Amino acid sequence: MPVRAPEPSSGDIHDLEPQQFLEEVHSFEFWFQAVEGYLSGLTWGHRPDTPDEPLVPADRERLISVLCNYCVGETAALEGSSGLIAIAPNRLSKIFLSTQVADEGRHLEVFVRRLRDLGVADPEAEIERRASRSLLLFKRRLLELVASKDWEAAIFAQNVILESLEFVVFTSHAEDADPVTAEVLKAVIKDERRHIGFGENELGRRLADSPHSRARIAQIRKELDHLVLDTLEETSGNIGLDRSEHDRLGRVYLESVERLGLLR
Amino acid sequence: MTKPVQSDTTSTEDERARQRFILEDTGFDEVPKKYRKFYRKWKATGDALAPNEVICPVCKVVIRSSRELRPGDRVYCMPCMSRLIVVRTDAGTLEAHVAY
Repeated sequence: MPVRAPEPSSGDIHDLEPQQFLEEVHSFEFWFQAVEGYLSGLTWGHRPDTPDEPLVPADRERLISVLCNYCVGETAALEGSSGLIAIAPNRLSKIFLSTQVADEGRHLEVFVRRLRDLGVADPEAEIERRASRSLLLFKRRLLELVASKDWEAAIFAQNVILESLEFVVFTSHAEDADPVTAEVLKAVIKDERRHIGFGENELGRRLADSPHSRARIAQIRKELDHLVLDTLEETSGNIGLDRSEHDRLGRVYLESVERLGLLR
Repeated sequence: MTKPVQSDTTSTEDERARQRFILEDTGFDEVPKKYRKFYRKWKATGDALAPNEVICPVCKVVIRSSRELRPGDRVYCMPCMSRLIVVRTDAGTLEAHVAY
């Protein structure tokens, strides 16, 4: 029987025992009630009555390129997280990843829909045409790690590196996007919190138990870092970030890597 | 809003009594309803942390407790599923560190 999270006698959630907390937050029930809170009433990721302001042609072009690459990232995460379920080491991770698969599928769907709203007749072809080479290489490497059943490396690549990149980029982009895109991004960001947290905590626990793995994961970070930073550079340019904001995003991206002791 | 209500006099003798807080829903919608009052968004400019609050270093959400927080306390960030320990920084402020 799963351990359900009881109300602590103090009434404070922080008094839960660690295992009770983990059972609660990795459950499908928790996920369902969480997403219901912010997706209810949305259509294709935004409120139906949000005005879709026309963009000037250059801005529209840049937004299409950005969304195409968001679709590449989300496809990588969708394929990666679904593949990871089979090699997840325990029930809680398998159930959590099943919720992540649903999240990633929704993200891909709303970004493709946004492309159609912007007048892209064949989103699949446009995604292929505009995909960043660095991001495609990253996706290929991620799926190789999943296929090789390397749980730690694949979780690191997907839920630490890729999700952290998406979290910082989406957060920054949402601040300055048109109203519809901003709403779509803000709902996606709420899902990304769970994904980055799962990755960092799962990997953190495993590195604490087997510190010898740290050098191996650090090597994978070195291999993937330039692909991520190249992608960040390209996306930053397309969403119009200045150099200081781009540098700030780079630092934020590295925070989780640093907390895990993988910067060296 | 966070409202201080009373002091907890069950603390150990060498501890100043902790303030207690009644937590209200701040509109944070990323966790199930029953947990929402324990979290809020950081508003950046002009925002400040109350004695019962810390920022999650992983996802940047403000975590709230019904008690004044002290170094060594455990708090949970449900939005990103992190377990955290409260520490005091050199600057004297409280900060949460991830406990894997």
